Amino acid sequence: MPAKLVVDRLSHHYPDEYTGEDVHALDQVSLSVEDGEFSAVVGPSGCGKTTLLNILAGLLPHTEGSVQVDGREVQGPGPDRGVVFQEHAILPWRTVARNIGHGLEIQRLPRREREQKVQEFIDLVGLSGFEERYPHELSGGMKQRCALARTLCANPVVMLMDEPFAAVDAQTRITLQEELNRIAIATRKTILFITHNVDEAAFLGDRCFIFSRRPGKLKATVKINVPREQRIWKDLLSEKAYTDPRDEILRLVREEVFDDEE
Amino acid sequence: MTRSSEAVAGRKPQSRRWRRFVRGGGVELVLLIAGILFLWSVISQNIPNPGRYLPSPVSVVLSSYDVIWKGLLPNYIGQTLWRLVIGSVIGLLLGIPFGIALGLNRTVSDMFYPIMNFFQSISGIAILPIIVVWWGNSEKTVFVVILYTCFFPIAFNVLTGVRSTPMILVNALRTLGASRLRIVKDVLIPSAMPHIATGARLGIGYAWRAVIAGEMLAGRRGLGWMIFTAQDADLTAQVILGMVMIGVIWIMIDRFALRPIEADTIQRWGLVQR
Ligand SMILES: Nc1ncnc2c1ncn2[C@@H]1O[C@H](COP(=O)(O)OP(=O)(O)OP(=O)(O)O)[C@@H](O)[C@H]1O
Ligand SMILES: [Mg+2]
Repeated sequence: MPAKLVVDRLSHHYPDEYTGEDVHALDQVSLSVEDGEFSAVVGPSGCGKTTLLNILAGLLPHTEGSVQVDGREVQGPGPDRGVVFQEHAILPWRTVARNIGHGLEIQRLPRREREQKVQEFIDLVGLSGFEERYPHELSGGMKQRCALARTLCANPVVMLMDEPFAAVDAQTRITLQEELNRIAIATRKTILFITHNVDEAAFLGDRCFIFSRRPGKLKATVKINVPREQRIWKDLLSEKAYTDPRDEILRLVREEVFDDEE
Repeated sequence: MTRSSEAVAGRKPQSRRWRRFVRGGGVELVLLIAGILFLWSVISQNIPNPGRYLPSPVSVVLSSYDVIWKGLLPNYIGQTLWRLVIGSVIGLLLGIPFGIALGLNRTVSDMFYPIMNFFQSISGIAILPIIVVWWGNSEKTVFVVILYTCFFPIAFNVLTGVRSTPMILVNALRTLGASRLRIVKDVLIPSAMPHIATGARLGIGYAWRAVIAGEMLAGRRGLGWMIFTAQDADLTAQVILGMVMIGVIWIMIDRFALRPIEADTIQRWGLVQR
């Protein structure tokens, strides 16, 4: 079976409006993500992770190389690729329930079915009781859950997530990671998850793509062979199947950071 | 015993309102107003010919007996308000869509931004002379000035609001498969709401000044016209009455018409801090 998401020799340059120099953000990146696979992208800050995600989402047009989802070349954004952004991107003027149901509203799903679906995802992300609240009444972690539920609820083929838990505290982060793992089991979505936290990448990913410093190149791929059901933080910390690939990723990422200081 | 407790029970909602009044600084406000009126009385008693230069608050009320009792004041106020309402409703109906339309395209909005900024800086009073040249001292002149005065601040603020919509919200909707129209409806307009409210408040506020100025120069009846003719007839008390009415009516418009709209939408969304 062909992969869900295929990136082939993708490069990207940003023109710098002021100096006229161009910023080489991505260099000949090739990778693929299988159906139902959870892939994590790790790399130092500024290596082009968000650029890659924006191109996959169709928010940023690509000129060199190709990007395919489900065998079709990406041309602009579409509901087949759901995105959870680095910052909260839920609408402040919509309640939690109406934010989560927004994708279905756009798809013109009849109200009754929509409400039923929305309730399902509200329960899944643990926001029951907050349906009628506005985003400013939620904590940072709850906002991110709301954003996650909105994307899930629209039922995309592929989920693209850009450091969704970067802005929450360590404790909430652990909870959200375990929750996302549970959701991944329940929905079997194909996921591309960006982070620069090595533990997070190894905890969540079936496969980790490690990027080099700018211009971002795919430097290595590391597989993590821990069944999803066993991914619980307190059990995993002493599990070699987790710690070995994590240390490997850490080493690869460190090389990039230390290179920086030479 | 029973009777007095009943009386207390019956007064309960009123006393709650009283407490809210006190907590909201109501007592201090009343004292402040009383102080201003007192100061005003003292000044007017210590100047020569107060009837011409600064009649006391009491004589403003007494000598305006005439206007009030003949039913002229309500008539003038009605006339002025009517002009304001018509002018600003049309100003809003034109200004809001215009501002949104300009905001949709970056190039178009970059081009129009300085032009809108230019026009919103020329007050209604400054364009009044040329409008009088075009249309004379007519109702049309007053109306055009009001419309002009509120249109530009409204359109300019709406444009600013649309332009300052966070790109990430627009992108989020695009990835949910939203059409352009839906992005306008679900993101740009609500996001611009605080600016739309500000624009409306500013625009209507400027229009309120413009309608008074317009009536002085070109209108028939109305508060501005009353002030102007009273001054001609040396009725300073009536001039002051007119000024006070302008301020009082504006506070009521703001309190009962403009502020509730703001509270109903943008405060509930947490877009502005209370
Ligand atoms: N719109 C833009 N115009 C010009 N240069 C840009 C633009 N967006 C990003 N860049 C540059 O491209 C490079 C990659 O940026 P990108 O946002 O993809 O990094 P990232 O890996 O997501 O970083 P972080 O982990 O800090 O989020 C950076 O050097 C950045 O300065
Ligand atoms: Mg980024």
